[in-house]
Amino acid sequence: MSKKTRIRLNSIKTYLSKPQNVILLLTGLLVTFTTIAPIVAIIRDTVTIHPGTIDQYLSGKGSGFTLVNYLDLFTSKLAKTNLWTPLLNTTVLAIGSCTFAILFGGVFAYLITRTNMAFKKYLSSIFIFPYIMPQWTLAVVWQNLFNSNQVTGTADGLLASLFGIHMPAWWCLGLFPCIIVLGMHYAPFAYILIGGIFKNMDANLEEAATILDTPRWKIFTHVTIPMVKPAILSTILLVAGSTIGSYPVPHYLGLPTLATKYVSMNDKYTGEASIIAIIMMLFGVAIMYLNQRSLHSRKSYTTVTGKSGQITKVNLGKSGRYVIALVFVAITFFTSIFPIISFAFETFLPNPGDYSFLYTGNTNNLTTKWWVTAENITESGMYGQLGILHNKTIWHAFGGTILVAVICCLTAGVIGTLIGYAVSKDRHSKLASYVNSMAFLPYLMPSVAVGAAYFILFSSGKINLFNTYTALVIVGTVKYIPFASRSSLNSMLQLSNEIEESAIIQDIPWIKRMTRIIIPIQKSSIVSGFLLPFMTCLRELSLFMLLCVQGFILSTTLDYFDEMGLYAFSSGINLILIITILISNFLVNKITGASLDEGIGG
Amino acid sequence: MKKLLCLLMSMLLVLSLAACGNNNNKPAEQSEVQKIIAEAQNMTLEELAKKAIEESNGKTFYGVGNSSRGKSALPLFIEYLKTIDASYNMNFEWQQPKNNKIFDQLTADGLKEVGTFAMTLIQDGNQIESKMVQTGVLDTFIPKGWAEANGINTAEYKGYLPLQTLNKIFEYNNVNPDKKYDNCWDFVAEGEHGLFMGIDSEIVGKNFLYMLTEDKYATYLKEAYDKLPAAEQAYFKTTIDAVEKDAKELGLGENGKYALAWIKLWVNSYNEQTDDGPICNILVKKSSVDQFGLLVYSKVRSVEETDETSVTNLNVAAYQDGYEGIGGYAYCHYLFVTDNSPLPWTACAFIAYMVETVDGFSAWGKDLGGYSSNPLVAQGTEEKYHHSLGESAKVVCETTKDRGYDWWVNTGKLVVEDPKYCASVAFTVGSWIEMLDKYTPQ
Repeated sequence: MSKKTRIRLNSIKTYLSKPQNVILLLTGLLVTFTTIAPIVAIIRDTVTIHPGTIDQYLSGKGSGFTLVNYLDLFTSKLAKTNLWTPLLNTTVLAIGSCTFAILFGGVFAYLITRTNMAFKKYLSSIFIFPYIMPQWTLAVVWQNLFNSNQVTGTADGLLASLFGIHMPAWWCLGLFPCIIVLGMHYAPFAYILIGGIFKNMDANLEEAATILDTPRWKIFTHVTIPMVKPAILSTILLVAGSTIGSYPVPHYLGLPTLATKYVSMNDKYTGEASIIAIIMMLFGVAIMYLNQRSLHSRKSYTTVTGKSGQITKVNLGKSGRYVIALVFVAITFFTSIFPIISFAFETFLPNPGDYSFLYTGNTNNLTTKWWVTAENITESGMYGQLGILHNKTIWHAFGGTILVAVICCLTAGVIGTLIGYAVSKDRHSKLASYVNSMAFLPYLMPSVAVGAAYFILFSSGKINLFNTYTALVIVGTVKYIPFASRSSLNSMLQLSNEIEESAIIQDIPWIKRMTRIIIPIQKSSIVSGFLLPFMTCLRELSLFMLLCVQGFILSTTLDYFDEMGLYAFSSGINLILIITILISNFLVNKITGASLDEGIGG
Repeated sequence: MKKLLCLLMSMLLVLSLAACGNNNNKPAEQSEVQKIIAEAQNMTLEELAKKAIEESNGKTFYGVGNSSRGKSALPLFIEYLKTIDASYNMNFEWQQPKNNKIFDQLTADGLKEVGTFAMTLIQDGNQIESKMVQTGVLDTFIPKGWAEANGINTAEYKGYLPLQTLNKIFEYNNVNPDKKYDNCWDFVAEGEHGLFMGIDSEIVGKNFLYMLTEDKYATYLKEAYDKLPAAEQAYFKTTIDAVEKDAKELGLGENGKYALAWIKLWVNSYNEQTDDGPICNILVKKSSVDQFGLLVYSKVRSVEETDETSVTNLNVAAYQDGYEGIGGYAYCHYLFVTDNSPLPWTACAFIAYMVETVDGFSAWGKDLGGYSSNPLVAQGTEEKYHHSLGESAKVVCETTKDRGYDWWVNTGKLVVEDPKYCASVAFTVGSWIEMLDKYTPQ
């Protein structure tokens, strides 16, 4: 063996002796495959001829490859309907939802962390409810509340039935309700991210400005806002990525977006639908690019010194602190409590949306059939389904959901934690930067597009994982690794290297260093990185809906019942989901001290 | 970052091009399931049932279909098998994919060596032929008893096996007695917004629009138009004239312009809903004054009578005296065995049970609006449930008295789906329809 080879082997050996390098190499390979393979599959699908679809008709061939899908999508007479209008709607929806989420969540975060507003603990807990509920359930509640015969041409909803109030069409359907519903769903995101910064923010700068007699509004706009700018940017990136890929909310509220077009075009324009999925993915790449740029620019906002533990709370006044709190109690009642009451009530209505009990008081206008019916031979308006308590489909789906959520949270949590650890240890290397970006990319890609790409990848003769829990676990893990990797990276960056170095000097093995020193110190953040994939998996639809049939997991089952108009079943499932998430959050909080709102509300 | 993106894009391009090199084609020889089907077609229901018992005792049967009632039919089938072998038991799962996803799901499942789904009950002959049959995903099984009842020679029969014909009909809320729909053109008149499932989410709705351009149905529309009062004719004439050129370019018959005009006005005005269930639930409410819909007739079975809701709030347009024009449309539910069926004998037995016995068909037959493809079963169903008298419904009224398949097709002027015609115009008339603006409430 030559000297040069020996030197090279030794340097490889030295490189691999560091656990973070081995982790980066292995996870680098893993994230490269899990990100690239589905994208390759979907690109291939855009040029593949699909029997019985437009590409077969236009190319005149039954199989093989063609570019006709690209030509037709971008240049045909239908381009406006199939591409440009949905693209515009998607963009406006993403911007609108981000703005709403940041304003609503940001203002709330400010009030909770920087003022003496009353009922903080209650409001902080209740505010995150819309995030733990499946997003389209709020859309269904919106319809049940505001639809009316006069405006939407359907039966009267609650407001019209009880009070004769008819909201205008723009309020009931289309862009506006989509922005509000998605904004409400993601406002807790903004609250958690912005609230975290507000809570730990160094008050010295604001105090200095106050001493210099700077007006309060100027302090807010010139000092406070710039400090939370990184959190606002993070919220924009995460919410934009999520709203672009949201299928159910625009579907129920009648807004054509790229995600709804993907689904509606998939039967006749299969290849063109795949191009739409790629366009959605490009949004993800663009968002990642913006993320990288914002990361560089964030250096100038590093003003949090950690030297001042004292945060000056704005005094809202004796009555003001209650008045503002009551306003938020009222708002959160409609965003968090009312949907739950509405779900519970819906399960006792004899016909979906039949609110006659409310204005007649006649108990004959209520029923328990949706819960207790034990046979499906007699027709009872339940479409062959048994009552929720006896319905094997629902409970099988519940079991499937728990299985997928638990495995996803463990695998995404472990892989993400390792990535966070390795990147923090080797943060200036190109490999670390690559792994960090590649691991984050699937999260920024719209869920429908990721689901579509994996559906194509997993629906071949060679790898066929369609309708298996394995497929859902793989996709869920890939999509939610960023939750854990970001959470882990942030917490690892706070840890001084000296702590681990002292353990290395004492020759303590890596596993022991991780399990006895590093993880216990940052337990709370790391557990949050496990908790988020678990909760998100429980109610995820857009990502999973193409990969399995409806009775496989609870969200697809819920969507099926909503589509069928069997709101009693979907409402019952919503209640099951909400209770499961609350119990899980409570247990994790009791055992580890971690929770979704991380004690922002104190 | 830019380098990373460039690298990523280059990798994707190279890998995609490499991936394009592979192309799978199914071998032409008979599959195992097709061999079993060939054998099963010569067997009686009882013989098939014995094979099914051997094959599936203690196992789980997965079926998928466009009808939710496969879930109700399976327990009846299991009960039937238990009459032959009391120790028999089988678990089952029945899926009803929405938004046309059934084709994607069957295609994906069809690529497995052994599939999840044993059989399917599926609609939309147009897509079935191009996506399911020609690609070898589904196989047709013609039960011996069904063939005999229809006087069909199985060896020569080239069609699919229909379980039943369903009708989607025009129904309207009658709370306002002054509101009348006595001509099918009334449904596309100014200010009308019928409740209807989206033509993209349920393709049989699109097939209905395709079928309207066929000469027979275009003539129905022309005849109904001729019966309209002059003022109403004048209103529709603008649209008819405007689409005349398109009708010629699309190669339609002389009355094609009437079909295109009706289609245009319909697509411009219908109020899209996710399913027929919600449409029915809306129409039967007191508050849904002046609303109408085009929906599956059988949905009226699900209405629970309350202070707000009653099936008596609903009228069937075609049942009204003096009604002119099409009363709705009809399409078939077809039965197939999947080509990689995990339980092919059980699938064949289940299919035979549904098309050869009144009990087997009863999951659909017990309610109005579903017409068995087996004349003996159709007759037995009427004798047992008396749909013509409305006795199967919770409330007996004009709306719940089903006048039967023959009445609907002839007097009720249903537009009956023809898969071949639909396939022939799917990318001509179909693309024209897709160009039309859809209605959103203002």
